[in-house]
Amino acid sequence: MRRIVPLALMLCLHTEACADSSAQEARTQGAQAAAPARPGDSTGRFVSHVQHIQPGGVPMPRGMALRNPYEGNAAAVATGAKLYVAYNCIDCHGADGSGAMGPSLADGRWHFGGTAPEVYESIFQGRPDGMPAWGSLLSSDQVWALVTYVRSLERGKNVTTENFSGATVERTGH
Amino acid sequence: MTKTAPLTIFLAIVASACSRDAGTGGARDSSAARSNVAGSAAPVVAGAAAASPHIGPAGEWQMPAGDYANSRYSELAQITPANVRNLRAAWTFSTGVLRGHEGQPLVTGNTMYVVTPYPNVSYALDLAAEGQPLKWKARPENAQAAVGLACCDVVNRGAAFADGRIFYNLLDGHTVAIEAATGKLLWRTQMGSLAKGETMTMAPIVVKGKVIVGSSGGEMGVRGWIAALDAVSGRQLWKAFNIGPDADIKAGARFRHYYATDSSPNQGATSWPSTTWQQGGATVWGWISYDPALDLIYHGTSNPGPWNGAQRPGDNKWSASIIARDVNTGEMAWAFQPTPHDVWDYDAVNENILVDLPIGGRTRKALVHFDRNGFAYTMDRATGEVILAKAYVPMNWSTGVDLKTGRPVLDTAKIPYRGKKVTNICPSLEGGKNQQPAAFSPVTGLFYVPTNNLCMDFEARDVAYLPGTPYIGGNAPETGGPGGYRGEFMAWDATTGRKVWGIKEPYPVWGGALATKGGVVFYGTLDGWFKAVDARTGAVLWKFKVGSGVVGNPIAYTGPDGKEYVAVYSGIGGDMGLLIAGDVASNLPYDVRERGSTLPDISRWTSWGGMLFVFGL
Repeated sequence: MRRIVPLALMLCLHTEACADSSAQEARTQGAQAAAPARPGDSTGRFVSHVQHIQPGGVPMPRGMALRNPYEGNAAAVATGAKLYVAYNCIDCHGADGSGAMGPSLADGRWHFGGTAPEVYESIFQGRPDGMPAWGSLLSSDQVWALVTYVRSLERGKNVTTENFSGATVERTGH
Repeated sequence: MTKTAPLTIFLAIVASACSRDAGTGGARDSSAARSNVAGSAAPVVAGAAAASPHIGPAGEWQMPAGDYANSRYSELAQITPANVRNLRAAWTFSTGVLRGHEGQPLVTGNTMYVVTPYPNVSYALDLAAEGQPLKWKARPENAQAAVGLACCDVVNRGAAFADGRIFYNLLDGHTVAIEAATGKLLWRTQMGSLAKGETMTMAPIVVKGKVIVGSSGGEMGVRGWIAALDAVSGRQLWKAFNIGPDADIKAGARFRHYYATDSSPNQGATSWPSTTWQQGGATVWGWISYDPALDLIYHGTSNPGPWNGAQRPGDNKWSASIIARDVNTGEMAWAFQPTPHDVWDYDAVNENILVDLPIGGRTRKALVHFDRNGFAYTMDRATGEVILAKAYVPMNWSTGVDLKTGRPVLDTAKIPYRGKKVTNICPSLEGGKNQQPAAFSPVTGLFYVPTNNLCMDFEARDVAYLPGTPYIGGNAPETGGPGGYRGEFMAWDATTGRKVWGIKEPYPVWGGALATKGGVVFYGTLDGWFKAVDARTGAVLWKFKVGSGVVGNPIAYTGPDGKEYVAVYSGIGGDMGLLIAGDVASNLPYDVRERGSTLPDISRWTSWGGMLFVFGL
């Protein structure tokens, strides 16, 4: 059995990135911050106005957010591109993130959020439709390199309209 | 099924390739053979007969293909070439599920049964009541993680009915039995492991109280198997792997090789380097047939894994193979590998149609198989001998099959190898035909075959095995094949290996065929036309634009009113709809894909949507 061992790819990337432990801590504190601070209204309900709670509407408190240490780092993009192949992301999400078994990563649209911390968490934790939880296999550095790579794919590819009336299909974005 | 997007290559030929005859349904080719059969009442091939009869009354449809022979032939004859122009939509039913609706309904008594793609909901529809209300709806538990492990959409190819029970597979690797009268879940047996990347999509058949099922996951580094379950208890009776040592694949005292090159012991392991067979694919996601006289079942196996052949030198037996097994024990009777050391993703899972055919002055117990590799094989189903093998679609990877060895003669320029991009390989990895099953009519003696006309470039690369992730190692962007069309629905004479007539289509014909005693053949297209064709001439007699592209298979049944009806799923998807067509989905705001380079304007003609259509006079 021939296996690729891509661990060497990450060696050049050890800088000040968040360690796994700090990522875990940030999530734990985030969960606490999201819990209701008040005991509820006079009717005894634990959560008031639950119909007004929208997912994603509450920013992480300052200082708790995950931060991508490689934002805009071309070397991290290149490393992420190699990891994208080495860990078989390519065969689920397609070459250049164009979509295959899994959704496109190059359309500027995100099921579970497209900020760097959100993409980090999707890779680290996995997602329900079969996205594996890579946090047990990849280092934090590697996940950030992947985040940096896949977020680099979306530029200019967010398409809103397909117009079929011409000789070729015109696709326009915004 | 990764693809890169050479859009620019394609734009130049889109205009000509997609000229659609203003919706006339494609042009028939001018095969000389057509004029010989038009207007004649005699069979084109006399003396051809399916190896086993239709199961149950002629007006019912109890097994995926209607019979064990996999002929997809209905003895109903009310709908004829003379009256089919009066066919109209009788009623429809939305399954509430999107994605690819492969497979076909079942009908027994006054009830129709359908199974949806994931989450594999089953419905029983009351045909005797106005509006066809539900008798029941069943939603067995089905792990959501399976969605991301299915290579080629979350399809299900249908159920089987026997002894008052409905049997089908769940995407997450379970087989279930449901009481047909009530919808009660009788048993649910885990057969596959999601952790290993195993899913299940195939349609079972039931033979003598045994439910025959097989695995999917050939793109995930699984080790493919076929198994029999007790229909009453759900207990596993036997399970045979298709790769590995003889004991595991049940190649023992009963095994008879036809070709001398297939004589060595343990070739399911020794034709692989080291223990690579443990991740070698060879799954059973296609159709299963059965010969009651020989008491053998026939099934194909999928591509070897990974696609990158440099990681697995050798024949890789018995991937990409046709296998005959004793239905009682699973023992291998014979095996034949159409594509040794497959490096093109030419699975051999396509249906094996069991027909007695007049060849060379005598009747042969034949097996007819339209392989992904582009050759149509007419074989002896008792021995595994290839009687003849002829190309049925444009192809260039091989120049022919050597009948002394059964092996294809290769064009070495078309062999993909790590680091070398090979261009213009035909057919593409979708094959000359894929899951869309052909039909056989004893009235004409012909086979009716939905086909693809696609070519590909192939670039292989090394890939690491990570359980539960794809084990592929290759990119294979596809384009339309030669001739300016991408699919053809054809009539085939399996005694001579020649095409009798063909209807060229702008898109791959990804739905199956139905032949009827009335002389009308039915099929659906990827751009959403359901068509009725004269079985003798190939003339398109009638068509109807259904809600979504058709990747399912029509059936015929007799309604409670005594009239003949034809039913088919619409709902584009499957490998072609999800991965190749590109952006036909409209319900995923977070997944707006690039327009597919293979079928660049399919999204003009269709969108996702699962719906049953029923037609009657």
